[in-house]
Amino acid sequence: MFAQQYIRKWLDKRIPPANEFQLNHRSIFIFPAKFGGLFLALCALLFLLGTNYQNNLMLLLCYFLLALFLVNLLASYTNFAQLAVKLGRIPEVYMGDEVHLPLWINADKMQGNALHGIINISLMGQKVSHWFECDSLTNPVMLNYPSQSRGWHKLPRITFSSYYPLGLYKCWTHLAFSREILVYPKPIPCAVNVQEVDSQQDDTKQRETTLNTEHNHDDFSHLKVYQVGDPLRHVAWKQLAKGRGMYSKQFSGIEQVDVWLIMPKHASSQIEYNLSTLCYQILELSRSGSTFGLDLGYTKLTPNSGESHRVACLHALALYPQSNATGEREG
Amino acid sequence: MSITLRIAGLLKAKTRATSLKDRQHQSNNPAFFILSMIVLLFNLSLFDTVIEWISLLVLCSVVIRCAIFFAYQKHIPTTRTLNLLALLSIVGLIYSAWPLGLLIAMINLLVLACALKLMQVRTQRDVYQLVVSLLFLIGCGFIFNQSIIYTLFYALLTLAVILSLGFFHAPQLATKEQLKRALILSIQALPIGILLFLLLPQLPPLWQTPKAKSTETGLAESITPGDIARLSQSSDLAFRATFESQAPLARERYWRAIVMEDFDGRTWRVHPERKLQRRNAQRRQQEFQPVLYGPSLDYDIIAEPTQQKWLYALDLAIPLDAKSQADIWQSDDFLLISQQTLHSKYQYSVRSYSQAISYQKSNEFEQQLNLQVPTIGNPLTRQWLKQLRQQYPIDADLIEALLDYFRQQQFIYTLRPSTMFIDPIDTFLFDERAGFCSHYASALAYSLRLAGIPARVVAGYQGGELITKSNQKQYLSVYQYDAHAWVEAWNQQSGWQRIDPTSVVAPDRLSLGLREAMLQEGSFLADSPFSLAKFTNIAVFNHLRLFLADLDYDWSRLVIGFNQQKQQEFFKSILGSLTPQRLALLGLAILLLISLLLSLFFIPHWLNQRKNPIQTCYKSAVKLMQAYVGIRPTWQGSESFRYSVEQQLPTKISNIFNAITEQYTVALYTNRATVDGNKMANHQAVKRMKSLIKELKKQLKDQ
Repeated sequence: MFAQQYIRKWLDKRIPPANEFQLNHRSIFIFPAKFGGLFLALCALLFLLGTNYQNNLMLLLCYFLLALFLVNLLASYTNFAQLAVKLGRIPEVYMGDEVHLPLWINADKMQGNALHGIINISLMGQKVSHWFECDSLTNPVMLNYPSQSRGWHKLPRITFSSYYPLGLYKCWTHLAFSREILVYPKPIPCAVNVQEVDSQQDDTKQRETTLNTEHNHDDFSHLKVYQVGDPLRHVAWKQLAKGRGMYSKQFSGIEQVDVWLIMPKHASSQIEYNLSTLCYQILELSRSGSTFGLDLGYTKLTPNSGESHRVACLHALALYPQSNATGEREG
Repeated sequence: MSITLRIAGLLKAKTRATSLKDRQHQSNNPAFFILSMIVLLFNLSLFDTVIEWISLLVLCSVVIRCAIFFAYQKHIPTTRTLNLLALLSIVGLIYSAWPLGLLIAMINLLVLACALKLMQVRTQRDVYQLVVSLLFLIGCGFIFNQSIIYTLFYALLTLAVILSLGFFHAPQLATKEQLKRALILSIQALPIGILLFLLLPQLPPLWQTPKAKSTETGLAESITPGDIARLSQSSDLAFRATFESQAPLARERYWRAIVMEDFDGRTWRVHPERKLQRRNAQRRQQEFQPVLYGPSLDYDIIAEPTQQKWLYALDLAIPLDAKSQADIWQSDDFLLISQQTLHSKYQYSVRSYSQAISYQKSNEFEQQLNLQVPTIGNPLTRQWLKQLRQQYPIDADLIEALLDYFRQQQFIYTLRPSTMFIDPIDTFLFDERAGFCSHYASALAYSLRLAGIPARVVAGYQGGELITKSNQKQYLSVYQYDAHAWVEAWNQQSGWQRIDPTSVVAPDRLSLGLREAMLQEGSFLADSPFSLAKFTNIAVFNHLRLFLADLDYDWSRLVIGFNQQKQQEFFKSILGSLTPQRLALLGLAILLLISLLLSLFFIPHWLNQRKNPIQTCYKSAVKLMQAYVGIRPTWQGSESFRYSVEQQLPTKISNIFNAITEQYTVALYTNRATVDGNKMANHQAVKRMKSLIKELKKQLKDQ
């Protein structure tokens, strides 16, 4: 345990977290692989046999293989040092789902790809789970691993390893990306349960609805520039087809009532479950383009709609019971 | 929920990294095809050594592998089937390889293991095991074949092994690129390997190595007249001799190899008493010390492998240098016998005394051995000799009379003698009167013994092809068709004397060689119509043949014959004298040379690794902008970053940044195509970008 911590500390000093890496002598570790050991044993055997039979050609073969072993050290290092890794935008993660890390390999390299061979990727200290081949590479390479718990998480160190060209040496590195990911609660399907709050009245009126998303489609009022998060069914496709750009149709609905999603109080044993159901409801409401607010007790998010509102709500859920909901953190 | 599902679905489609199971081990990886070809070719190169049914098994596994590779067949045989097959094969191997000796059994076992492994290669470990056993087998191949052609062949196989490893670790890399990389690696490794070979000490054998019991070649330990005619059909090399000074004349080149003293009426053999005596002497370390007399001649011999122990030398010879002295046993019938069986080419140096044989003493035991004749058979010869002995009581006269008989009765020297079954010597002397050297030697030695003169048959080679070059020592190539047999007779006054009846019958054989002697009969190498040795009259072929012989000679002398002594001579030629300090210096120098070579190989990478100037320029510009626009997320492309700069900063500044971005994108995506134009264009782009950055800084300051 202590040793592991020591190694981690040492690694943090040697390969400090960053957003992108170009491997170099500081970050590359290299050591003969098992096959390298077998290969050296073969050389020893050939030497013995060659000496005993006084066979110069056998000795030459032995020395040639030995030299090959030496030269291979350089070859495998120089190949691996071509690797440049950049972490792309991480898609949203819900608890229980897998985290998908998009790794961009040699994305801004000017010259043709000089990196060859199979490269294994895994979380540090774990079994190799993924690999990609540099000669048939399609960026980004995805590394998946199961998410742990709700809230902010540091990314684990990622191990890249390669045995190219002959498998005699293993080159590897443990890269730490200075990014944190926010894991949202797992959405659990349930009935959408919103509460209407009339701004005039103080008492809240609970309404059980299977939200009729079609209810405000009746009267078309105007077009507005499309924003991320607007429902696709509202897009004015005809306008788009005519090349006038992407617009969303707006409808003059019936009365604009503020709808709230409220975290049930006095149910401390079911916090996670409640968060999960809230998460589902937020996703459903956002999908249908409704306007809604979120009340978590400490944190209140005023009714709104659109992509940024959805993200803000999910942040609040993920960080519950804390209240700071900032954007994706960058180191 | 559906959103998450959709996202997951999208990601799954995008995910390139597949599970570990099917990565390198896809059966259509070219590595497997190459490996199976290597196994097959190696097996062909040792076709004589590998047992037939194992060769068959190799063929089977290669066919299976190829069928899988070309997708005619989908499944590898199951492990259970293979285990059963392996068990059966081991039993079979024990049964059939046991009598062949340890070495051959080991080779067969390895080939068998490779064949079985090839059938069932599944995991990475299997491939590595296969590769290592193949490399070891290639090494073993050098025990059996050491010629240039085979060395090249095995070198190619080694390259193919490297190539297959390359394919295994990068299955998608193009074949051309793979080949290039394998070649580069090999070419880089070769000089270092050679340096190691020259520098690392050549050790004497560490222990007795298992012997190969393969078929013996060259001279046999018994002569039934007609046998040497079999050798005369072979144009294989027997040995080469390099002379320090002038080589002896063609008719003087009698290379003694085996002395045969036991005669049963048909066949001459090495006498069992002689063998027993030699074994005893070896046990007691009583080596024969010849009386050395007369002029001497020094030369080196590189003998081809014969799987026997007999060595060749002119007349009476003694081993010259320390290594030869340790390796060679001097026997009292004036032969040189190697302590080790000649499995591979063997080099030794000797000094011959051409007149010394006649000065050696003989004992009663030896004379008795050389007077023994079978009590029955060949009645006519017995009768004839009785008459002759009465006619010529003096030994010299009798010998002369016998030779006269050969001379006058129109004996024919032929490579196609008829077989003589009953009383062969009678038939030869009085009916057929045609035979090969062994017929004459056999008949003469028998006759002499009947007359009470101790006589024996000596088998060896006579003649050889002398090659003289202005800038190097003369060397002589002796081929199997130079095999010869002659007679040695004991004389009280003059000791052992060489008598060659062939010289009487066919003097051309001795002075001009077998080819000339057989010109009329046309039987020289009649069984091998395409042998280059047959076409000496065609200039091109003769040049080619001599060139190949030259190449082979140098190869044997310089590479195969390189030993401890030559290594020391080589060091001496560099250092002057072999003091420990100088040797240490030499070692240091070679280590330095090796590291120098390694760093030389590193230079291209180092040059590549220097930061790309365009990239550096662009990054510094982005850094300047980030102070105003905010940190650029890593996933943001240069185009969208340019857009955000345009939106947030005044046009004066954003225009300059636009220009920089444009230069960068052009360099990144356009120039890549034209490699030649690349350098110039990049150079200009860097210049322009630098000036733009200067301007950008100025503008930012002014703001």
